[in-house]
Amino acid sequence: MPETAQTTRAIWDQNAAPRHRIQWCPGCGDYAVLNAVKAAVTSLELTPSELLLVAGIGCSGQIRNYLNGNSFYGTHGGALAYALGAKMANPELTVLVMAGDGDTLAIGIENFVHACRRDPDITLVLMNNGVYGLTKGQDSPSAGLGQPDWKPSEEHPPFIDPVEVALTCGATFIGQGFSGDPKHAAQLIVEGVRHRGFAVINDFSPCVTYNKVNTYDWFRAHVEPVPASHDPSSKAAAWELVRDFRDRGKLPTGIVYRAAREKGGAAKRLPMWPDELARADVDPLVKRLR
Amino acid sequence: MTVNQMKLLIGGVQLRDGVSTVADLVGRILTRAGLHVLSVERSFASTIYGAHQFDPLVVSAAPLLSWGDRAVDVLVGLEYDSNPDAPQQPNRDTIRQHGGDLVEGGVLLYDSSGGPVNTEALQARGGQVFAIPARDIALRELKKEVVKNLIMTGALFRLLEFDQDERWLRQLLEERFGRKGAAIVDLNLEAARRGRTLVERILEDRRRPSVGYRIEAVRSASPAVYVSGNEALSIGAVEAGVRFYAGYPITPASGILEYMERHLPGYGGRVLQGANERESIRAALGASVTGVLSMVGTSGPGLSLKVEEIGVSGTTETPLVIVDAMRAGPSTGMPTKTEQGDLTLVTGGGHGEIPRIVLAPSTIDECYTLMRDAVRLSDKYQCPVFFLTDLNLSEGRMTVAESVFRSGGASIARHVATEEDVRGARYLRYRLTDSGISPRLIPGQRGGVSKISSTEHDEFGFVTTDPAMRVAQMDKRMRKLHTYLREDAKAPQVYGHLGRGPTLVGWGGTKLALLDARERLRREGTEAAVVHFTHLWPFPTHLAKPLLDTGRPVVVCEHNYSGQFADLVQAHCLVPTRRVLKYNGRTLYPSEVVRAVQEVTHNGAVAVRLGGKDPVMVEVSIDA
Repeated sequence: MPETAQTTRAIWDQNAAPRHRIQWCPGCGDYAVLNAVKAAVTSLELTPSELLLVAGIGCSGQIRNYLNGNSFYGTHGGALAYALGAKMANPELTVLVMAGDGDTLAIGIENFVHACRRDPDITLVLMNNGVYGLTKGQDSPSAGLGQPDWKPSEEHPPFIDPVEVALTCGATFIGQGFSGDPKHAAQLIVEGVRHRGFAVINDFSPCVTYNKVNTYDWFRAHVEPVPASHDPSSKAAAWELVRDFRDRGKLPTGIVYRAAREKGGAAKRLPMWPDELARADVDPLVKRLR
Repeated sequence: MTVNQMKLLIGGVQLRDGVSTVADLVGRILTRAGLHVLSVERSFASTIYGAHQFDPLVVSAAPLLSWGDRAVDVLVGLEYDSNPDAPQQPNRDTIRQHGGDLVEGGVLLYDSSGGPVNTEALQARGGQVFAIPARDIALRELKKEVVKNLIMTGALFRLLEFDQDERWLRQLLEERFGRKGAAIVDLNLEAARRGRTLVERILEDRRRPSVGYRIEAVRSASPAVYVSGNEALSIGAVEAGVRFYAGYPITPASGILEYMERHLPGYGGRVLQGANERESIRAALGASVTGVLSMVGTSGPGLSLKVEEIGVSGTTETPLVIVDAMRAGPSTGMPTKTEQGDLTLVTGGGHGEIPRIVLAPSTIDECYTLMRDAVRLSDKYQCPVFFLTDLNLSEGRMTVAESVFRSGGASIARHVATEEDVRGARYLRYRLTDSGISPRLIPGQRGGVSKISSTEHDEFGFVTTDPAMRVAQMDKRMRKLHTYLREDAKAPQVYGHLGRGPTLVGWGGTKLALLDARERLRREGTEAAVVHFTHLWPFPTHLAKPLLDTGRPVVVCEHNYSGQFADLVQAHCLVPTRRVLKYNGRTLYPSEVVRAVQEVTHNGAVAVRLGGKDPVMVEVSIDA
């Protein structure tokens, strides 16, 4: 094996080391997300100690146990807020958030909206399956996708499109993928991590057990790559694309929007080691109170 | 003549009359002049404008024993009118609400621009009334309404025969307004002079050179500052090494957020105003995961929203300091009034059982000194540490010697593992240890990965429901508290001789009232002792029980309805407690404590409720 291939293989092995028995249903879209993330971190040459995976609650959150990077797992809906603090404190970490549509768009939508506004340099992989799978198939905020005869009511409101929310709220990178094409999803994640800012990747990941509408076949019939002519740096073009696909009943896959800008000045890791903290002299603070 | 020992009360219409501006200016100048000032009974309303606001300041040449009782020596009413457009607005409330508290021979200074106020009753009791049209002079002669406060300040200083040469006032004004030009400083000084002259004339007319109260500058060995509890604890946090602070605006913790936003970046730290209470604490946990010492601040309603994350901090073993500046609850309660109603929430809030430590400073200087402990303990035990203040401590101000702030020195020693430390064995984030504390490697370091998990986990951090591992991990987390009790818990502070009379027990901001009450009881022939707790949870039974189990009545005094701390004392020390409870939003007064102790020791009361329509309500045990 040539040297580069060996290095690649070593990084893959480090990240993919199977540590925990995988407990997703056979055929679950999340397997493809897992492979996409492994492929992405491998091609980014990120070792487990350089990664912080923040997982949401639900089937999706189990992904943290199937990857070898550092991980944090807290409360339902909180992943983006933990990730925000972690990235603010240590910009040297690559922070990946992996959460489902219930976690991100229902109980955690406050964090989704404000993460878009704050634009931290983190990447969200939204594992979108349209149901609360772990609790046995209740409607999520994505329920209703692909059901033209869905009659909206207070009990069953229309679905939320995270791409539209992200565009509205100021995310600077928005992509959409599908578990039927993990290679493409991996490319999206690579692009998302490379982007200096908040990257939202809505990755459709079918629930084979509880979602009988948005199946692999359904997605295959409805996804359509973003046309090569699309200019992702234009927000107007992004809105135009979203509207066009919606009107045609299609789901765009690819990069919908990518702000053409570099986020200014790389932030520094906050002081935490004794030698970094020892320099703190609070005398000026006390003197100000005189 | 009373020299350097008095209680001033400055009142007025909130925002419009600049009550806290004048009170802080006076407090700051008197502190510079070597006096001790204590102002913890600040009263403001949960509105921006229009309500009655007042700030009592106790002044003394010696360090202050307490804030005293309601009695006021010098009353200053900054409000100037009875508003014809809104007659219900409380524009004469300083006189109406506090006139009755004026001591015999006390002084009332008020702005008579809106017309004189009938103060016959007050004068009949010996009150000396000084009515000066400060606002009229400010508007008509100095052409700037805002300087009415300097006219009143100048008048007050003349009444107290203080700063006759304008030295202190000029210095402060030059520091504050010097950048904006000498004209502003001169205008303010001229305003103060007008006030001084007006009082001078009234005194001449009355042929009295003095009102009987005087403040004299004192030569002080060490310089002091006039500091709030929020500022003091923030400085303590910065010094200890906190570099990430998150909060959401809430009274009375907003002061910490504002202070940190202004000053923490200068120390390389970052401050986040969360979009809500939960984002704040979650972001702080995220920052802590990367090894940065992190802190959040809030008050009861905010803490209720943060409760879910207490369990996250405890189970993931992520250090966090949580300041709870308590205010009257439940629900929205009385947002600008003090209480000690959150103790049960911080010791027990959250589902399941969570390892946690609870500390409570008892004075403003302790807000600084104890914060160091809070930060250190969170880092050492990798769990949430609550720092309980209350509205009086957080928003109140006190003269504190600058030397106090140099007591801490360098930041805390970190309890973070390095690659070297974990070399050899496979790194396990939740390694089972005798102390319960697992070596903690920070994500980003080499040597191993951290699987940090709020679900029950094995030593590596993988989710598990294995019964034996569950027990091992639960025991490990809780074992940290035993280690804490052995190595770090501090005994309560004891004042006086135990066993000779009743033992007054307190925690948090009530301490000075209890100490004052002890002195008063001694003068009356009752030898009481005070046992005051700063380390509340896990309850230091081994340190507390020997102090409280004396056979004498144990009287727990606190600001809540049920006696939350009394419950802890009773449950852990197995000694019966009597309770002195005040939850009307106002500070505990030493005279009330004295009265309550008498009810307990002589009349067999098991509980005394203070500050209602009947100022003292006594409950006698139904078993008796």
